[in-house]
Amino acid sequence: MRRGRGFSLVEVLVALAILAIVITTTIAMFAERTRRLRDASETVLAFQALSNEAEYWRREPFAQIDKADNQTFKSDLDILKPLTPYATEVKVDSPRTDMRNVTLTIRWAKREAHLGIARADTGGSGLW
Amino acid sequence: MRRRARGYTMMEIVVTLAIFGVFLFILVTLTAEMRRNEKKWPVNFFAHPEVGSVLARMRRDIYDSTARPDNFETYNSSPMTLIVYTINDDGTAETVVWDFTTPGEVHRKAFKATMLASEWAAHGLPLFTATTESMPSGQEAVRIQATDKEHKLAIDELIVPRPHA
Repeated sequence: MRRGRGFSLVEVLVALAILAIVITTTIAMFAERTRRLRDASETVLAFQALSNEAEYWRREPFAQIDKADNQTFKSDLDILKPLTPYATEVKVDSPRTDMRNVTLTIRWAKREAHLGIARADTGGSGLW
Repeated sequence: MRRRARGYTMMEIVVTLAIFGVFLFILVTLTAEMRRNEKKWPVNFFAHPEVGSVLARMRRDIYDSTARPDNFETYNSSPMTLIVYTINDDGTAETVVWDFTTPGEVHRKAFKATMLASEWAAHGLPLFTATTESMPSGQEAVRIQATDKEHKLAIDELIVPRPHA
């Protein structure tokens, strides 16, 4: 028959180990939630910047679009401050002489976001 | 040998607390790092329905605007007051004043001629500003920005009015 006494060191350690597993799992869950929320915030910021940049590229004169020295971001990128350090890239493809596909990219940490727009040569009519 | 009925020895308590202490220290360090990182980020206002409705209404007013008067009645155009002359569904036009001067609130007042036709207010909002920006096409875009309580830029949207013949 077991004597009436306190817990042994092994019993206490096993109990603490179980408690540690429970706490670690809970914290890991919150960490994952925080990471996903941060990813969402990053994406929201990146796409605001991409959307603003696209407004510029929609209005760029057609003849200027594929000029090599023109292929940089033109909009104010203050909104991207929390993503620092980040890099931006503008890539222009010409599938036809009267078409340009502009792909805007923002890279930060190990992530990136793209937004593409297609421009057609409308002869300077102001339509896009 | 029969073990004595007893409590823990000092050594047992110290070992147990030391192990748990190390574990807690690691956890607290990790969560503190998480909290520090979180503070870098502005509030994601796009998840707030009130902010969404303000932006949606403002976008439509600006897209359909044909002019942005410098002043109207007692209002003067400024980063805290956006005045647009905009077209409605029924083809009539109205002057809309977006008033951001009250912190946490946005007021939209629509006037037919000089008569107040409708007023709408949204509450619990970030601090909005509206400025203008020249586009490569020569058009003037409206730049809507909003900052959270810690003055971090959370919303930055360029809205360009549709061309009107």
